[in-house]
Amino acid sequence: MTRPVIGITIGDPSGVGPEISLKALRNEEVLSSCIPVLYGDEAVLRRAAPIVGCTKEIVPIGGPEEAKEGRISVVSPGVLTGPYEFAKVQGQCGRAAFAYIERAISDAMAGKIAAVVTGPLNKEALHAGGINYSGHTEIFADLTGTKDYAMLLMGGGVRVIHVSTHVALREACDRATKERVLTVIRLADKAVKALGVPEPRIAVAGLNPHSGESGLFGHEEIEEIIPAIEAARGEGMNVTGPVPPDTVFVKTLRGESDIVVAMYHDQGHIPLKITDFMGGVNVTVGLPIIRTSVDHGTAYGKAGKGTADESSMVSAVRAAVQFARNR
Amino acid sequence: MEMKRKKPVLAVPLGDAAGIGPEIVAKTAAAGFLEKHARPVIVGDERVLRLGMTIAGKIFPFRSADSLEEAAAGEGLALWNTGSLDAATLELGTVSPVNGKEEGDNLAACIDGCRRGLLDGICFAPLNKAALKLGGYGFPSEHEMFAHLYGITEGFGEMNVLEGLWNIRVTSHIPLKDVARNITVESVLDTVRLGYKTLRRAGCEAPRMAMAALNPHGGESGTCGREEIDVLLPAIGAAEKEGFSVEGPFPSDTLFIRAFEGKYDGVVTMYHDQGQIAIKLRGFHHCVTVSAGLPHPITTPAHGTAYDIAGKGICTTSAFEDAYALAARMALGDITER
Repeated sequence: MTRPVIGITIGDPSGVGPEISLKALRNEEVLSSCIPVLYGDEAVLRRAAPIVGCTKEIVPIGGPEEAKEGRISVVSPGVLTGPYEFAKVQGQCGRAAFAYIERAISDAMAGKIAAVVTGPLNKEALHAGGINYSGHTEIFADLTGTKDYAMLLMGGGVRVIHVSTHVALREACDRATKERVLTVIRLADKAVKALGVPEPRIAVAGLNPHSGESGLFGHEEIEEIIPAIEAARGEGMNVTGPVPPDTVFVKTLRGESDIVVAMYHDQGHIPLKITDFMGGVNVTVGLPIIRTSVDHGTAYGKAGKGTADESSMVSAVRAAVQFARNR
Repeated sequence: MEMKRKKPVLAVPLGDAAGIGPEIVAKTAAAGFLEKHARPVIVGDERVLRLGMTIAGKIFPFRSADSLEEAAAGEGLALWNTGSLDAATLELGTVSPVNGKEEGDNLAACIDGCRRGLLDGICFAPLNKAALKLGGYGFPSEHEMFAHLYGITEGFGEMNVLEGLWNIRVTSHIPLKDVARNITVESVLDTVRLGYKTLRRAGCEAPRMAMAALNPHGGESGTCGREEIDVLLPAIGAAEKEGFSVEGPFPSDTLFIRAFEGKYDGVVTMYHDQGQIAIKLRGFHHCVTVSAGLPHPITTPAHGTAYDIAGKGICTTSAFEDAYALAARMALGDITER
């Protein structure tokens, strides 16, 4: 089997992204399953290499087609060449991180890489650099012209996809509409199929405590979620729910479903962090390209120290390879 | 001076007779667990207890008494035979108004026994909310029912305990969209006070508490929700002024990991599922529910009547045992204080 070329954006240079990217490239599983290409400035990687004890040759390449084994192949846009500090919000770092993503997306859209794996961004640095996106997901959606997408988290035996993410809890309730829930059920079905499960069993969580207990506390289940589930069943999907939010994850861990549809950010993130604090993977589902990501931030407290754990990055590469193989 | 502390007297109502309650109690009693931690008085119909023993396949001696006075007075495993339900008419795994009234009446009788000084606390087998409602006990949850029976109108609520970590929430069984407007400095502060008081009563002398944020990522400096800035931070400030140790607000997706590592004794959550998801995932078979703010300790396993497995004798007793041991510990503290 030919190994897919996987692009890894190294994230904000001021955080742990460059370090965990280099660390992941000495992982046997990563090296044997794909041909990795880093997207990041050469100068940034040369600075990070001794910190993590990386002795492999760092080679800037013109494009992913030039990637070779046994060395670190880097697509270097040359944005950040001067000095920068670790663990500090800097506009130039935000701009650099954005440039890496832009280039990787463009290469993925052109079919030059099979997937993009992203290192952690700092939102404030993006904004300080004049890049007005609220995060990776929005950048990918915008640059690929995608309207319907959702955040999928995987780890520790749990897959959970979100109806809404970074909005206030009050607003999250308004976002749980029949239309959006149905869209996310469809995305869930597609994503799990893309992982090689032919008939995904989808469990949809309720929004309210005990799923509202027949309307006793909350009507969203009756008015929005159940109609969405019925519509999805009408389309032939295997959907159960609404399942009370506090038991749906216990059940999925027992193997009763392949994916959970969560109604809001913390409903999906609380269980995922408990089942897999270190190795969680974040996937943007619905894009025309494959994008997976580490499930943590820039971890400024560890930047420049070489101590950051790369397991989430390794898991993200593993997931990207898996999606790429089933494409 | 009394050297050996007296064991507390705990009532053990069988709960909803159509559920797994009677078999759980039978299994636990047969293992000698009830007598180890307290002086137990099982409360219910003797025919129902015997059915539970048959299902569990456990035979053990007990002293059957027709009044609570008699049951609570003697030594050994006692049953207060309420004569309230004929096991022959019982249909396992179904909601019934007859069972609902019976389980509600027995609980009310236990609270009456606590108030009369005959009992030091209660650990009840699972109730069925739908049955209770049909049986005339139409309360949002058992906590409101108990408070009502005590004549208490505020300062009570549900707490959940797992692996020594206590969770209390500001809001409970309300629509999620109403949560934000129910998060006020006063309601948060009241919750902290109740949690603190209950933890102290359970033997934690200087509770360290952590508060969960309401919004994702703790609101990210107000960009996805302002309640952290407008309500939670002022509430924490006020709590600190009252001498409580409360840290936060912390993003709720990572808070529980640190809390389970032992960094905190209690976690204050904003809504039902914020804590329930974490706790049930971490240890479904050891979760205990405590009715906080009442004059006597009242505990129960966090799981329900499990109608789907009632009568099969396969239920696990671990959560019930944890609930019973906790009630015993809290009751012992109360006795020592008196």
